[in-house]
Amino acid sequence: MFFSFCMFFRTSPELLLNPVTICRNEAEKCLIETSINSLRISLKVKQSDELENILTKKFLRFLSMRAEAFQVLRRKPVQGYDISFLITNYHCEDMQKQKLIDFIVQFMEDIDKEISELKLSVNTRGRLVATEFLKQFI
Amino acid sequence: MACFERASPALKEILLRLYRDERAIDADHHLHEFGSVEYYIQSLVSDPDHTYLSIATPILSQAFLVSTRLSRYTIQKVKAISAEVVEIVEPPKEGYQLTIRLNFARMPHGKESIKMITDIAAVQGVILSSQLEEMLMNVNSQDVAQGMYKPIKLVYHPREPFYVIKQPQKITAVFPMRFKEKTDVIIATTFFQQELMDVANTKACAKAPHCIWSPIPPPELRGEAIEDLSTNGGFVSFDITSRHIEGKRLDKTVWNLLNFYAFVKNHVKSTRGFIQRRMRTCLKSLVEVLQKTGPQDEQQIKEVKGYKRMKKLVKFTKFKIIRYRSDFTSKLKRIRSRLKIHGFNRFRRKWLTFPIFSSKTKYRKLEKDISLQHN
Repeated sequence: MFFSFCMFFRTSPELLLNPVTICRNEAEKCLIETSINSLRISLKVKQSDELENILTKKFLRFLSMRAEAFQVLRRKPVQGYDISFLITNYHCEDMQKQKLIDFIVQFMEDIDKEISELKLSVNTRGRLVATEFLKQFI
Repeated sequence: MACFERASPALKEILLRLYRDERAIDADHHLHEFGSVEYYIQSLVSDPDHTYLSIATPILSQAFLVSTRLSRYTIQKVKAISAEVVEIVEPPKEGYQLTIRLNFARMPHGKESIKMITDIAAVQGVILSSQLEEMLMNVNSQDVAQGMYKPIKLVYHPREPFYVIKQPQKITAVFPMRFKEKTDVIIATTFFQQELMDVANTKACAKAPHCIWSPIPPPELRGEAIEDLSTNGGFVSFDITSRHIEGKRLDKTVWNLLNFYAFVKNHVKSTRGFIQRRMRTCLKSLVEVLQKTGPQDEQQIKEVKGYKRMKKLVKFTKFKIIRYRSDFTSKLKRIRSRLKIHGFNRFRRKWLTFPIFSSKTKYRKLEKDISLQHN
C-alpha cells in the first residue's frame, strides 16, 4: 500500500512533506516521513555490542513477523533503520490519534528497556551457569 | 552427549521394568544413545534368574589406547556395584566392550534396588571416564621430561574433538568450540569471554581450574590438523592441576571435561528459549497497548446509554408493540377510507394517469410498456 502511495507521491512531490530526523547519535535515531494522508516512522535502536546487536535483530524480526498483530507495523523496515511504522488516514479513523502516538512512544521506550533487560538477564544466566560448572571441580 | 546424568534414563527404565516384573519374560532390547553408544538387554524365559546387559561405547582416542580391553579401574567399578548381583561375562558379546550378567533375584528390595539399577545404568559413563582417567595417569613421562607436550586428541563425539596436553605442573584441556548458527556463536562467546573467565577469577572459584578463552588456537596445539583448529567459537582451555585429579575429584573432573560441550550447548539452547519467552511476553504487552487505541465512537456510544429509569418507562413487551401497531393501522384505515364511486377507477386510469416520458440516458422497462400496450 505504502509502495503505491510512494509511487504516486514520487510523481507528485507536493503531496509529500519534509521528513524529520530526530537523532541522539549515529546508532540511535528516528526518521519521520509525512505525506498528506500517511506517516512513516522508522527507528534505529542502539546496539553497543555483538550481543545487543543480535538481541535487537532477533527481537525486531520477531515483531516484524507478527506485524499483523500491530496493524501499523511494517514487515520490512526502511533501509538503515531497524523497524518502521506506517500510519495512514484509515488507521487514524479506526484508532484514537492520541493513543496511537502514545503507543509509538511506549514502543520506543519498551524496546530499549526490553533489550537492556534481556542482555542483563542473559549475562546473569551465563554467570550462574559458569559458577555452577566451575563449582563442580571444587 | 546431551545427558548430564551418568545413568542412561532409558536403560534404567528398562532394567527397572524387568526387575519389577514378577514373571519371567522374553526381552530383547537394542538401545542406541547419542549415535555412538549402544546397549543390548537380553532376558530369557529359559533362564529366568539372569538378565544380560551388553554395552558398546566409543573409544576416546584410537592412537592412545593399545587394546580395547576394559581398564582395571572399570572392572573394579563394575564389581563394586554388587558382587552378588553383577557379574562380568568373559568374553563379552561380539561387537560390545562389556557384557554383564544381572541376577535380579539377589537384588535387595526398596530404595537400595533403585540405587543399584541406577549404578548399573551408569556403567557406560564409567567406561568412558576411565579411558580419560587412564590417559591422564599414564601419559608418556619421557615426553614431558623432554619438554614435548604432545596434545592427545579425544573424540567423544565425532564432530566435537578436544585435546588434553600434559605439562609438568598441570594438564591443559583445550576445547575448540564450533556452532552452527551465528546467534549461538555470539551467546557462547559472550558466555566464555564475560562470564566463564570472570567467574574463574573470582574468590569463590579460586580453587576451580583456571579458564582461558581465546579466538585463536593456543600455542600448545601448534602442528595439529587445520580442520580441527578451524572454529567459529574460539578455544576454551582449562588448566587442571594435581588437586583437581586427587581421589574422588578425578572422577568429577573427567566427567565435567567430557560433558563441557554438552553443558555449553545446553546453556546456549536454554538461553535462546529464554529470549524467545521474553519476546513473547513483550509482544503481548505491546499488543495490549495498541488494543487500547480502539475507535473513539465506541466510547461515546457507551457514554450515551441513558438513565435506567427512562429505559424502564420506555420498555414495552413485543406483544404490546404488535397490538398497538395493529390498532393504530386499523384506526388510520378507518379515518382515511375513501368514498366508493362505481366506475371511478376506470375513469381515473384513463384520464388521471401521468404520461410516461422516455429518457435518452435511462432504459425503459419492457414489462410496463407491454402492459400499457395491452391496456
